[in-house]
Amino acid sequence: MEITPIELFSIDTIYEGEKIPAIRDITLRIGRGEFLCIMGPNGAGKTTLLETINGLLGHTKGKVDILGKEIRKFGSSIRKEIGYIPQEFGVDPLTPFLAEDVILMGRFGKIGLLKSVSDKDRQKAKEAMDSLGIDGLSTRPIGTLSGGQLQKVMIARALAKEPKILLLDEPFSNLDFNATADISRQISRLHNERELTTLAVIHDINSIPQRCDRIILMNRGRIVKDDLPKNVLDPESLKLAYESKK
Amino acid sequence: MISLLSSRIFLITIVGASLAGIACSLMGVFVVRMKLSSLGCMSHAAFAGSALGLVLSFNPLFMALIFSTLIAFILGPLAEKARLNTYVILGVLFSLTMSLGLIFLNLAPETAMSSTAMSILWGSILGMSSADVTRLAILTVIVIVLMILFSKEFRAIMFDRKMAEASGIPTKSFYYLILFLTGVTVSLSLKLIGGLLIFALLVSPASTAYQFFHDIRKIIIFAPIFGVGSCLTGILISFLLDLPVGSSIAIVSSLIFGIAVIFSPKRRKG
Repeated sequence: MEITPIELFSIDTIYEGEKIPAIRDITLRIGRGEFLCIMGPNGAGKTTLLETINGLLGHTKGKVDILGKEIRKFGSSIRKEIGYIPQEFGVDPLTPFLAEDVILMGRFGKIGLLKSVSDKDRQKAKEAMDSLGIDGLSTRPIGTLSGGQLQKVMIARALAKEPKILLLDEPFSNLDFNATADISRQISRLHNERELTTLAVIHDINSIPQRCDRIILMNRGRIVKDDLPKNVLDPESLKLAYESKK
Repeated sequence: MISLLSSRIFLITIVGASLAGIACSLMGVFVVRMKLSSLGCMSHAAFAGSALGLVLSFNPLFMALIFSTLIAFILGPLAEKARLNTYVILGVLFSLTMSLGLIFLNLAPETAMSSTAMSILWGSILGMSSADVTRLAILTVIVIVLMILFSKEFRAIMFDRKMAEASGIPTKSFYYLILFLTGVTVSLSLKLIGGLLIFALLVSPASTAYQFFHDIRKIIIFAPIFGVGSCLTGILISFLLDLPVGSSIAIVSSLIFGIAVIFSPKRRKG
């Protein structure tokens, strides 16, 4: 029997010090190789959902099974199989890390404690850079890269670990039209090639990757619609997600 | 005999200062990169602990270790969960630990002005014994070995702790290890530079190295070189001009940092 990569059962996540759940009663199943986009207004709980899935945020109710294991019990080992690209990841211009090191770091968890970086690890990092066309940036200090270049480095970092699941949080934020189109193409291609289970938070309807199988609309911490793109991207559904209830 | 004794004391001081310079600046690389400036109060906690040790006629070093470790384990969750600005934590704990130290010294006025108390406050060339140097040597070796063994985990955490966690590294254990090692380093270096100024040796050499390199590995290699240089030059100045050794080391390390900022290739335009 094939293991479902992502399964959430009636999940609530409450931030420390808060009383109201940031996401509530989320039940979600994402099959192997599926490409799912999450949309919704600011504060809908999209980032919280992603970080609950990879266990960076602990859920307060329900059960999260990732790759057949409970995230609460096996967080670190499960995260070795998840590529995560956070929202608007910024770095200080003086940050003392080279792009190739940042990409290689994606594999550090997978390599494991007390084991050194092997030639295979370096090769995987190089392949990730090559696949995104950023091999020329390898020795550049990370703080000197443009927004688009940095975003590609973060995607390469996530891919270098050869993940089974890819979580992208607004991968196109702060990117211009060309960079958005380029990265969107790259994500779709990598998804196809590697049969990755992909979950992407997308802000702009126009930047939804073509490869997207399903869209989830969220509002006020709940899933308000979960369907094929053609059934979700209609004015009525979008109104349902984006209208603010008084 | 006197010459032999003084050369032995001098040797102990030089070796002790070099070890303190290495250990402090290596831990400083973490403190600076991870913006752990709230650890500044750890040195004051060590000072308060050793002052209490003096009052109770109990080993001041042991008490310094207890206090600084205690602060490390209070600061960890406080910085992580209390959602307080670092400056707030620093402001409150800095003055609290300093006040405790001064109160403890005040409780036993006869010890407050003793040479041990003064060396805890300001550092002393003659403050270090061969046992202190041995402890510092063991600590320095432990720090270096750990940094080699867990090099990739430490580097990933220094780049970004959340991203390191997301890549499958159990960052919490390493974070607490960093806090603990910093506390021990501060406590064992206290006699040389003093509780009031040791933060300078923690921060300045590492910050100086940060001015020159884009590669964290080079910073880890060069920070101890700046640290040892600051300590030895500070001791020389202290010896020649009869100044407190802690202040001399702090001034030298700050001057080197100032020069580094001016000549930093990372800040050059064009």
